[in-house]
Amino acid sequence: MASKKPEQFDRVDWSELSESSRFDLSINSIGMLAATLPLALLWLYDYQFVGERGATFQAIGLGRNLDPLDYFFVFTLFLFFFYLVLPLYQNPRMTRYYWAEFRRNRPAVVSLGWLGVVFVGGLLGPLVISAPEQSILTGHQPPMFLSINEANVATCVGDVVNGQCQGTWQHPLGTTRGGKDVFAGVVYGMTISMQIAFITTTIVAAIGITFGTVSAYAGGWVDEIMMRFVDVILSFPTFLMFLLILYIYGAGLGMFILVFSAFAWGGTARYVRSKSLSVSEEEFIKATRISGASTYRVVRKHVVPNVASSIITQLTLLIPGFLLAEAQLAFLGIGDSAVPSWGQLLSAGRSDLAFAPWIVLSPGIVLFLTILAFNFIGDALLDALNPEAEAESA
Amino acid sequence: MSTPLLEVEDLTTTFSTAKGALTAVDGIDFAVAEGETVCIVGESGSGKTVATESVTRIVKEPPGRVEGSVRFKGRDLLEMSEPELREIRGYEIAHIFQNPQEAMNHCYTVGWQIVEALQIHRDVADETARAKAIDLMDRVGIANASSRFDDYPHEFSGGQKQRVMIAMALVGDPDLLIADEPTTALDVTVQAQILRLLEDLQAEFDMGILFVTHDLGVVAEIADRIVVMYAGNVMERGDVLDIFERPAHPYTQRLLNCLPEIGGRKGGIPGTLPDPLDPPDGCRFAPRCEHAVDACVTGDQPAEIEVNPGQRASCVHYRPGRDDSVVRDGIPDADADGEGVSSADD
Repeated sequence: MASKKPEQFDRVDWSELSESSRFDLSINSIGMLAATLPLALLWLYDYQFVGERGATFQAIGLGRNLDPLDYFFVFTLFLFFFYLVLPLYQNPRMTRYYWAEFRRNRPAVVSLGWLGVVFVGGLLGPLVISAPEQSILTGHQPPMFLSINEANVATCVGDVVNGQCQGTWQHPLGTTRGGKDVFAGVVYGMTISMQIAFITTTIVAAIGITFGTVSAYAGGWVDEIMMRFVDVILSFPTFLMFLLILYIYGAGLGMFILVFSAFAWGGTARYVRSKSLSVSEEEFIKATRISGASTYRVVRKHVVPNVASSIITQLTLLIPGFLLAEAQLAFLGIGDSAVPSWGQLLSAGRSDLAFAPWIVLSPGIVLFLTILAFNFIGDALLDALNPEAEAESA
Repeated sequence: MSTPLLEVEDLTTTFSTAKGALTAVDGIDFAVAEGETVCIVGESGSGKTVATESVTRIVKEPPGRVEGSVRFKGRDLLEMSEPELREIRGYEIAHIFQNPQEAMNHCYTVGWQIVEALQIHRDVADETARAKAIDLMDRVGIANASSRFDDYPHEFSGGQKQRVMIAMALVGDPDLLIADEPTTALDVTVQAQILRLLEDLQAEFDMGILFVTHDLGVVAEIADRIVVMYAGNVMERGDVLDIFERPAHPYTQRLLNCLPEIGGRKGGIPGTLPDPLDPPDGCRFAPRCEHAVDACVTGDQPAEIEVNPGQRASCVHYRPGRDDSVVRDGIPDADADGEGVSSADD
């Protein structure tokens, strides 16, 4: 090892070095601000000048109206991009390492591809495909390559061969009883699912991490009260709460997301607390404290990043629960029937299962694959980010 | 000696535990002058680390409780608020640790961590901080510092990590460096390099060093003065030469006897450390001391008595009117070791 006697040390001339860095935001935060500001302005414009019902972009001739949920969704997308995707790009070595670990799990790679399809479909689909519209005359059209007895359809869009109505590319996955295109329905459902996934994750992560770290670091009776509150949250009958709110305020996707994520962060908070407690015993936390860092800095820069890998895994495994809950509620007819979710599509097709199973099968399979994908990815993330957890459970 | 940089008086650190109050440090005094190296020596569990962590008050409070006075450059650290202390920590008083592997956050590159240490105290732009960090890495003897800046801690060897820790400690140009067994986790050759580095840095920065160790070989190499601790109390203090030549306290004598000699037998100290929850009356070392008399097991730890100029020991045998030849001559060779003794430097 090079241990040549170091040359003379100069005294550090701090006046020379004291260029301010106080307002030196990281590129991520600058990007986040730059992206959020126009969004906030757009929302303000929408709220002040266009009104709730008017289409946001009517001034330039687009018919799409953005509701608060859309704004929040875009905001969470920005968060996701600037604080998860961009850091991966900024730390190529770390990314390569994790990717190599992740890639060993083949199903997870396929799952990631599938979620990519759902993500892009949900994001861009509604821009290219028009929303499924009611058209009684073309109800119960069969999907491509399948056929249905002519007696079951009012008008057959494709050819009729031997009394069987054939599927067409016009409706690749067929139509519902009301003539809504199932393919368009599935694509619009992707948007809903992505909104649920991103927004609930953001809410759960924000509350869970804050609550968990504060509880761990406050200690004493504050910790005690906060954790008992978590017990209350965890034992709360969310479904009944949702029914009550539904009864008072009416159902909406926003309400669903709000209620279910407001009662889902308990586990995350508890998890973050126990992880923070174990991390805070580490020597490097002491080293950071000893070098004069404030508690906030220690938590923000050292505890949370060390806990992050386990939280990411935990959150990934939380998403399927939300998607399923939404589908179940929609299937039972609880919820806003105007929301074009997969659950609504399932519920729309359940009475026609005997002769038009595609109405239920298409969204059902897509939902199944999506949930499976989240579980596979969660599993692979656990292995890649948290090797010791795998060793414990093995 | 000039006015001490650090003056610790009657420092007492207790922890409240389920089984009652645990006194880890029991009213100790010591001082470190500018440019001086003071070693706190003692076997594991004698309260050395807690004592140094009490200086900058990073022991957890509660359950910990630090009392007494710690005067650093004339100001009492124990009366300072947390924000005031943060200004001192890492900037005027820096720490380095026993285990460099664990003292670094594995989420970040080594360079990031030096820059962080720098930016906690100084309002420095990122590029300047980076240049400064590379300069520091270079100075503590890390080859190709600029290319190693973006490496992660696991890509460094133990000795290199300790060098990085030293670089992090130097960012604030500290007046006092508290080194808590900085060489224990390193092998002997690296140990020597790190000690030499610390000595060079001390000369350059004119730092006082408070060095904690149980390794008497290291003490002999680096110390100016020694404070011998046992069970939270100071047993003996003095210049390094005096203590090595004429250890006065039976504990120090035993401790020195533990030093393995080439070809010689390794000694030990029979018995184990007393229970810190229920320390014995009188001298803490009395239960393990072959010279213990009735006066040793009553009252408090005996007051320190000057045995030689500049050398003080906390032993009743040096009280005026007593015959101190029993202990002055050191331990008889005959019972230098025995079966079932505990090694002092584990």
